[in-house]
Amino acid sequence: MATSSVSKGCFVFKPSSKKRKKNSDVVDYFIEGSDDGEMARIRVNICQRLWDMTKSETEMLQDELNKKILDSLLEFIKKCASSFQSQMNDWASLMRASEIPTAALVLGVNVPDHDMTFQSLSVLLQQSVTPFVVSVQAKECTALKHLMQKVLERLIGVDVAVDDDDEDGGQRSAPVHQKRVHCSLSSLCDWYSSVTKKYETSPGKKRTSMAKDMISKPPIVIIFKDLEAFNPRVLQDFIVICSRYIQKLPLMFIFGIATSPSTIQHMLPHSVSSLLCIELFQSLSCTQHLATVVDKLVLNTEFPFKLSGKVLQVLVSIFLYHDFSVRNFIKGLQLALVEHFHSQPLSVLCCPKKEALDHAQKLSHQEVERIRQLPSFMRYVENQEPQKQVELLTNDGCVKEVCKILMKALRKYHKNYYPILRCLHTLTSSLPKYPLGKQIREIHISCLEKNVWETEEYDSAMQLLKLMAKDELVALLQKCVVILSSSKSKKMKAALGQLQNYLAKFDQLDTLSAEEVMQEAVSPEKDLQKKTDLFQLQKTLLERKETRRTKKMTPFEVLRNQILEFVDSLVRAHLVPPESQPLNEVCYYGSSGVLRRHLNATPRTSIQTALSHPYYYLQHEGLKTDSGTFSNAAPDICIVHKLHLECGRLINLFDWLEAYSTVVSAAEGKDPDSSDYGKVDELKHARFIQAVSELEFLGFVKSTKMKTDHVARLTWGGC
Amino acid sequence: MSKRKSKESHMTVGECVSQAQKCLRQRFCRQELSTRPMGLESQHKHLLELLRRTAVHGESNSVLIVGPRGSGKTMLLSYVLKELLQEKDVKSNIMLVHLNGLLQTDDRIALKEITRQLNLENVVGDKVFGSFAENLAFLLEALKKGDRHSSRPVIFVLDEFDLFAHHKNQTLLYNLLDVSQSAQAPIAVVGLTCRLDVLELLEKRVKSRFSHRQIHLLSSMGFSQYLETVLSQLSLPADFPDTKFSDEWNANVKKLCEDKSVEDVLRKHFNSSKDFRSLHLLLLLVLGRVTVSNPVIKPADLLEVGRLSSVDSKANILHGVSVLELCLIIAMKHLNDIYEGEPFNFQMVHNEFKKFISRKSHSIHNFEKPVVIKAFEHLQQLELIRPVEACSVKIQRDYQLMKLMLDHTQVMEAIQRYPQCPTDVRQWAFSAFG
Amino acid sequence: MPALVEQPGYAHERLCALTERVPCRETQASTLLALLGEPGHYSYPSIFIYGHRASGKSHVTESILQELELPHAIVSCVECVSAGLLFEQTLVAFFGPEAPSLLPRSSSLSDFVRIYKQLCAQTPACQTRYIVLDRAERLRDMEANLLPGLLRLQELVDDNVTVILLTEIVWDKFRPNTGCLEPLLLHFPDYSKAELQEILVRDYHPAYSPDLYGSFVSILLGVFYSVCRDLRELKHLAALNFSKFCEPLEREEVKESETHKLWRNIEPHLKKAMQTVYLREVSSVQWEQQQQQMEDREAGTLKGLSAYAHVELPYYSKFLLIAAYLASFNPARTDRRFFLKHHGKIKKTNFLKKHEKTSNHLLGPKPFPLDRLLAIFYSVVDSRVAPTASIFSQISSLVTLQLLTQVGHDDQLDAPKYKCAVALDFIQAVSRTVSFDIVKYLYDFL
Repeated sequence: MATSSVSKGCFVFKPSSKKRKKNSDVVDYFIEGSDDGEMARIRVNICQRLWDMTKSETEMLQDELNKKILDSLLEFIKKCASSFQSQMNDWASLMRASEIPTAALVLGVNVPDHDMTFQSLSVLLQQSVTPFVVSVQAKECTALKHLMQKVLERLIGVDVAVDDDDEDGGQRSAPVHQKRVHCSLSSLCDWYSSVTKKYETSPGKKRTSMAKDMISKPPIVIIFKDLEAFNPRVLQDFIVICSRYIQKLPLMFIFGIATSPSTIQHMLPHSVSSLLCIELFQSLSCTQHLATVVDKLVLNTEFPFKLSGKVLQVLVSIFLYHDFSVRNFIKGLQLALVEHFHSQPLSVLCCPKKEALDHAQKLSHQEVERIRQLPSFMRYVENQEPQKQVELLTNDGCVKEVCKILMKALRKYHKNYYPILRCLHTLTSSLPKYPLGKQIREIHISCLEKNVWETEEYDSAMQLLKLMAKDELVALLQKCVVILSSSKSKKMKAALGQLQNYLAKFDQLDTLSAEEVMQEAVSPEKDLQKKTDLFQLQKTLLERKETRRTKKMTPFEVLRNQILEFVDSLVRAHLVPPESQPLNEVCYYGSSGVLRRHLNATPRTSIQTALSHPYYYLQHEGLKTDSGTFSNAAPDICIVHKLHLECGRLINLFDWLEAYSTVVSAAEGKDPDSSDYGKVDELKHARFIQAVSELEFLGFVKSTKMKTDHVARLTWGGC
Repeated sequence: MSKRKSKESHMTVGECVSQAQKCLRQRFCRQELSTRPMGLESQHKHLLELLRRTAVHGESNSVLIVGPRGSGKTMLLSYVLKELLQEKDVKSNIMLVHLNGLLQTDDRIALKEITRQLNLENVVGDKVFGSFAENLAFLLEALKKGDRHSSRPVIFVLDEFDLFAHHKNQTLLYNLLDVSQSAQAPIAVVGLTCRLDVLELLEKRVKSRFSHRQIHLLSSMGFSQYLETVLSQLSLPADFPDTKFSDEWNANVKKLCEDKSVEDVLRKHFNSSKDFRSLHLLLLLVLGRVTVSNPVIKPADLLEVGRLSSVDSKANILHGVSVLELCLIIAMKHLNDIYEGEPFNFQMVHNEFKKFISRKSHSIHNFEKPVVIKAFEHLQQLELIRPVEACSVKIQRDYQLMKLMLDHTQVMEAIQRYPQCPTDVRQWAFSAFG
Repeated sequence: MPALVEQPGYAHERLCALTERVPCRETQASTLLALLGEPGHYSYPSIFIYGHRASGKSHVTESILQELELPHAIVSCVECVSAGLLFEQTLVAFFGPEAPSLLPRSSSLSDFVRIYKQLCAQTPACQTRYIVLDRAERLRDMEANLLPGLLRLQELVDDNVTVILLTEIVWDKFRPNTGCLEPLLLHFPDYSKAELQEILVRDYHPAYSPDLYGSFVSILLGVFYSVCRDLRELKHLAALNFSKFCEPLEREEVKESETHKLWRNIEPHLKKAMQTVYLREVSSVQWEQQQQQMEDREAGTLKGLSAYAHVELPYYSKFLLIAAYLASFNPARTDRRFFLKHHGKIKKTNFLKKHEKTSNHLLGPKPFPLDRLLAIFYSVVDSRVAPTASIFSQISSLVTLQLLTQVGHDDQLDAPKYKCAVALDFIQAVSRTVSFDIVKYLYDFL
């Protein structure tokens, strides 16, 4: 199980339960959340579909991302295998005959993510190169004999007797009936020769079962999943032993490295590393990986479920700041998905167009009410003329109709949003100092948050674009053309057309002569008559002014400004934040707080709140206090904790007890001047001790050797 | 006479040589004595007497033969036993049990071994015994035939006696010595050990049962005796098939021992160690140089061998290290000079090295740190340097504290003998500090 | 010293074949053979052969035993995870595959000796039997009685058997404290330059003339001999650079005869190779690729494994690592000065006077408790961070990545202690990525 990244902390490994069953109780969970069972069921189905969709998508992604490196790896292994075949007849490999071919595979620091890679790798190998693939982990090979044993067992498939009658109970000695295989490579040699002979002699089932291009002497590939964690001595010995058999056994190693290849040098002295013929394979960095994932899952019109800016921010920051784990990112995404469909009843509409429409048709009264309460919908209503408003507020049918229209509008919005976003990214991503950020997700987030064109980053970006030389600008625009041509919506097609003829103009530029330039200069006038958009008018007028002021612009500059104007207009038209869209709540999941609580928990803080403000959890009136003060009726542990906060690094237990008993007896309402006020009786003593031990268990205090009757305060506990 | 002649005639030089090799090798490798051991007459007599008593009169006894390694304990014992077994009344009667501390590492194994050597497995069969003592008693009982006196005497030879003292509460020793004390069955316990303080290892109850007879083989022979020994060891026996050859050989050996240079070599060797085994080692090396082409031992051979056997093996190893590694060793030496042999770690050594490079490095290439680390590791692998505390995985290699296993003179000598050592490196080595 | 061929007791042509097989090692071979003596004769109980790696110890021994068909068993002690394996391999070699079945499970030396005697009685030796133990230094790690026992095996089993130990380490490191039977020491000296030349030339490239290869090898030795005398390494280097050496010939610019031109062509590349001698960073294939790259950009130095030193880490992990580095290389008393915004009036002078003689970067990292780590972490990291579970888990993952090491037991849950296990340049690279000037915070560089 991949817990090596969080080595201390407790993990729950659920048994893989039946899909059917899981599904059902998910439904119950949803139903109890809502009031309408039918709709809940629908939502579960949609949710399930989307979930599977993400799953398959990511798996595909994983494969194609790993494809490159895995292919090169396969290439390497095949090459080595063939050189084994051809008994090393060429000089170079003859000189290297005694070296064990080794692939150093570097895949980022997030160890849990590696498993998938190794999984697919070994599968790939078994399909195409060799049936003999073993992968070993550090924690199962603490000593050389265990490593040997694991390798042999997994290759031969029988128990291997490590003859030692000492500690390890893990060793099952071989059953009596089958002959005892010895834990040494020589026995592996015998096995291998026999097996290969079988292949050669009987090209029957075995042969066919393997791939066609499988060679008669397939290599034995040993994968060391986590090289760093291995005990160097064990590894060294193993390599030395293997090198003695390299003539007889076509062995091959794959080192899975998390940090950097130089760890090999750190682990192996020259005498050992000289036995290896290491080749390096670097997997692509996880940030690129994330970028592709975001590209596929988040910036995707086909995927109805959307994340709001905040949520995306949370997920990304968890990725960047805490673990470079793409898996966790996707998990987070899926969590958001479930949360959305569970918390938002209207998410029935969050699905592909057709369904959305007939779901909208089937909306019940309550849901219509819910729609009416949506802030975005209210805003929409307010913009309508009165009788329309009345109708919308009274007539459900009308609402449903409108709702359908609005859903379509929302789809259109998305259809236009993403292409323009990509265009903007392509234009700005190459600018110096990345005013709008390097990654597309950054622009995306800022667009989700606010009107991007009102930010000064946007302005600076535009300024920089205005200074751009012709050829680069053209190149960028070409890219934009490609992007736009991929989308099908009308608006985009129009934009595409305009862009293209701008580009055409660029081509003509050099042939253009002066008066044509003049014409160019006035040309806006024409479309000024066409467009009766006030905004446009002002803009063109302004532009005119400045063209006058800056006397004599080259035609190129003029054209460039026009294009940028055009781009700007596109941005303003299409990159409006989704909040402005009516019914956006249906598709957008916005509650980042919940997500953060789930994904990036702060156990210690919550414990501290529990101890310092018991009311927060217990909800008992007696505990309700105004801030700062502290109810002395609180549970013992809270009191003890409160008192311990007031002490220094070392706490004298007796004083602590005294203070405690005073507080408690105050709670019992003894009168302060009675004789036994604050006196310690057995009961209090016992309670105190229990409370302290609980605190110790929670890692707030620990007993210290410096002073016997004192305990030390821990700021951070253990981890 | 004519017979002799014919016999000689078909004995070529080659055969003679190989014959000579054969018998001498037997002597040197198997420690088998043809004649009485030189310089050990008294011990020999004592031991023989002792054992004969057990063998013949059935008196129990226990004795320790104590002497340094290679001083001929085993040799003596085997010779004595050979003698003993030649007496026919003994031969039929006596039984031998050989135990070795290296093999019988605990009493269970030892007991099995005893049973086997007394070939009583079938008698014991699958009986189960309460205690070790019972078991041993049973074994000894089984040896008795009829009345007490005619019970067959057994001689227990315990090689590496001191190791038996480490067995769990010394049960074996206790019981054997106990039997040898009480007149149950006639046994002799002969222990061979190289530890003079062996008695200190014994528990009180065991000690009290030991007869405290010790035979010490601290050979007191002078150089003259030593020379005689060499002579006798080298010379061929009278029963050598080809008398002509053997006579020549022996004459030559005599001449050899009178040679001055040879005597010097032997004296040197004598001063270093006077025990038999090292002598045999020397002579075997000499013997290796005898072939058909030179069928006699020349003084030159002996000189050469003497030289070879006297070189320091660490110097040999140092001769083969690379210049880089040599530089590191010099750096360590300087560190040792500066900090009075305090342990150092790689960082410090590398520091010194870099200082040297920066000062004057035209001959030594300026290496990357990883390369230097590799060189350092190699030195550690050769155990020329060794970590102070057990090498743990946790601690970083370049901060692990090390000690140099060479002393000042060894390093200096190595630098002197080093082939084509760069001059500035040499200067660095001889410079007083860093 | 008799020449190898005229050893008595062996067929002449065999000896000639043997001489062929051991180039530049005739003297050692003949010495060894002389010590072994004729097949029938007794041989010394144990022979201890030592010498550097790749000085032909095992090669000579094996070729003698194989060429002359003497009964022998060759065992590598690294392979023997338990003494039992050693015994088995020996018995198999001497008495056939069925022999080891007699051995009990987890057999001891005495069992071995017993079985050996028993089998030996059935098939007595007409020739000396040889047990060759490679990497003999490992015997010291096994049972204490094993090494001394093997040394006097001849006496124990009472058979004409000789144990040959092969190792790189001198005998003094083997001797048990109570001493043992001293073996016969035999040293294999390292190859001289000429010998290296001769041996390396033996495997010349079939496509080229031997003397071309010879001149290449002499150039190679000229550059490397001073730093590397390991035959295996030199062979590797030769294989690595020869193609480069031949390039001008491929391009028909120079003829084989003009060695000087060839030298001028190869020399810079060999100098580059000096940087990475001993670190087997690049496989030959990748080396050649890089040579190609260097054609393109001339200034390119070759990138071995060490070139990929930098590690991608999550943002906070970087800061945790930095904090750990500071905690383990700064004395705890200096923390106030470094990390308190307005530490009271600490006298610069008496603060700066160093109590330590040498800097901590020579002495190495010191362990520090978790509290200190987090305290420093929170003062160096710019934004305010919630003490989430993932922060703590990052610490543990740093430990699994061996960038931090945990001191003391792992089960110590409260107040664990750590050490930082990265080098200065590494941490500098890391802190540069988060634009944190670590040197300002290091006590040693004040």
